[in-house]
Amino acid sequence: MKRLLTILALCGIASLLHASEMELEKVTVGTDVQTVGRGAEAVMNDCHSCHSMKYIRYRDLVNFGMDRQKVDGWRGDLSLDAPLLAQMPESDAAQAYGKAPPDLSLMTKAREGGVRYVYSYLLGYYLTPEGMPGNHYFPETKMPDVLGISGVTEGAQRTELQGKARDIVSFLAWSADPHEQERHRLGYYVIAYLLVLTVLLYLVKNQVWSGLK
Amino acid sequence: MPQRIIKWPAGVIKWIDQRFPLTSFVKHELTGYPTPRNLSYWWNFGFLAGFVLVLQVATGIFLAMHYKADIALSFDSIQHIMRDVNYGWLLRYMHSTGASAFFLVIYIHMARTLYYGSYRAPRELLWWTGQGLLLLLMATAFMGYLLPWGQMSFWGATVITNLFRATPFVGDQVVIWLRGDYTVGDATLTRFFALHYLMPFLIIGAVVVHLVALHSVKSSNPSGINLADKDNIPFHPYFTAKDFYGLGVFLIVYSVFVFFMPDSLIEPANNIPANPMQTPNHIVPEWYFLPFYAILRSVPNMVGGVVAMGLSVMVFAFMPYLDRSRIPGGAHFRPMYRVLFYVFLADMAVLGYVGYIPPTETSILAGQIATLIYFTLFLQLPFVSKAEERWLIKRGLPPELEALIASEAHEKTKRGKR
Ligand code: HEC
Ligand code: HEM
Repeated sequence: MKRLLTILALCGIASLLHASEMELEKVTVGTDVQTVGRGAEAVMNDCHSCHSMKYIRYRDLVNFGMDRQKVDGWRGDLSLDAPLLAQMPESDAAQAYGKAPPDLSLMTKAREGGVRYVYSYLLGYYLTPEGMPGNHYFPETKMPDVLGISGVTEGAQRTELQGKARDIVSFLAWSADPHEQERHRLGYYVIAYLLVLTVLLYLVKNQVWSGLK
Repeated sequence: MPQRIIKWPAGVIKWIDQRFPLTSFVKHELTGYPTPRNLSYWWNFGFLAGFVLVLQVATGIFLAMHYKADIALSFDSIQHIMRDVNYGWLLRYMHSTGASAFFLVIYIHMARTLYYGSYRAPRELLWWTGQGLLLLLMATAFMGYLLPWGQMSFWGATVITNLFRATPFVGDQVVIWLRGDYTVGDATLTRFFALHYLMPFLIIGAVVVHLVALHSVKSSNPSGINLADKDNIPFHPYFTAKDFYGLGVFLIVYSVFVFFMPDSLIEPANNIPANPMQTPNHIVPEWYFLPFYAILRSVPNMVGGVVAMGLSVMVFAFMPYLDRSRIPGGAHFRPMYRVLFYVFLADMAVLGYVGYIPPTETSILAGQIATLIYFTLFLQLPFVSKAEERWLIKRGLPPELEALIASEAHEKTKRGKR
């Protein structure tokens, strides 16, 4: 009882503390080649100029099943084993924006809120009454509104941008954890095996102990 | 034909037994080791701790084959392990999850000991070797956490090594000596790697001492009294069967974390490479250090905080003297001690939470109250335990316990006469 009360009290404190923060948008990422491929394309077009993804090589994209022709188009003369470095040198970007754009290959794991944060951040731009751009989730951010969400008033266009942002975070989630699918698949087998094994061990234990007077 | 051919395996074992006490050792210390039959599942956690230790050493050695202890390379080498090394992601997630599992198992193991009063005579040395193991485990985990060279690695190590400034007279020198440099840097990383590799082997040595002590005083049991021979059963097959069943349950829980939520145990900031120029908004240690970290932060003065934190970990060593009650069976037969035990757990939970959130005025106050409760719980124990003992003796022990003591005494005299 005492423990229960403490836990309840702690939950109360916790919810008060977090109420002030802006609620993150919900999003479920896609893991299929189509979604992730569209995300890769969007990132190559809209983000790659400033951001690197240095833990991903062009070959990884091909191995994942993305269109070889497209990947060849993106890499130009670069080797298939070249990492996805930013087009703009980091120092230039730091000069231009006052801050170097961070590498994106681990981004969805490197922020509190993960995928939901990145999605909300990309769609979080708005125009202040004075016409200045702002962001709900990262007010002091130096990154411009690359998706152009702040100028959008039409519902259909907004939905389109949400779809694009979802593709982008799906790609970023894949690049932050490329073995996730494999891990889950293996996990189901391992846990199924352990469940059977544990039941058997339980029966063995009962069998052994039943011999005890 | 003379008998020159040695038969496998009986002949080989006989050959060894003439030169080395193999069979008698196995029989005495492993299979035949007399174990109280009434041990509950709370007694599974010592075996589990040993299992996790092996798991950490095994995964750690394979990780070390691909890891690079160099501030320019270590973050990338972790990504190399996660992405390119065959099943590297499995090794790393097993190791990072294993550290949490180790603390979980050890904390439950210690809570069991506290609940049942197994630290009391004649098990003081056993308890103290356990205390030594806890310190070694904490040091190992702390050093290991620096190795990925993420933001939390760097800033955690900076904050904790900085605490050694509290050393009288030579504080600054001690900090530099520990870090190998003025700030946490390459020298710190390489030495932490060397020590992180070494310490688990010291832990293995200490576990051997722990087990030698255990086997000389024998396991305690939920009743708290030494059982007569008929109630001690051979370790094998009874407890091997029970321990393996427990291991199965443990592995299921562990696998859920390893395969489905491994990142829940890795702070997001640690996926950002260390940056000495940029302090994270909020530096948090791993969950298993949170209560002690909260105690550190609760004392406004740094030296005071360090002393309080050190005491909060070391205070367990005094338990054999703080608890003056001789009523057997730990908290089970001791109503006051039982309440104190649960207050202690609740207090730990509050401290853990306070350590986790960014400090606010309320959380600091809550932390200070919880710290006060923490130390009060230990300091009042000599008086309360004695008072409780007197009260229990005056009121009469629970009939269950009286009956048990009588029947066990009867068993023992029967044995003695024969
Ligand atoms: C014009 C250059 C530029 C482009 C194009 C660009 N970014 Fe950025 N981005 C930046 C800069 C500069 C920062 C650093 C912002 C800061 O920390 O204030 C940044 C930061 C970020 C962050 C980290 C925010 C945080 O919490 O620290 C994310 C995520 C991000 N960008 C995603 C993207 C994505 C996805 C795209 C493509 C749709 C993109 N960026 C396109 C310049 C750019
Ligand atoms: C690497 C860490 C450790 C390992 C591998 C380990 C292993 C074991 C094992 C196998 C037992 C046999 C009984 C049982 O299964 O419960 C045991 C008992 C015991 N351990 Fe540990 N232990 C570790 C850490 C600790 C710590 C940190 C403490 C407390 C400070 C501790 C205190 C004790 C005590 C007092 C007993 C005897 C309890 C009883 O039989 O009632 N141990 N340990």
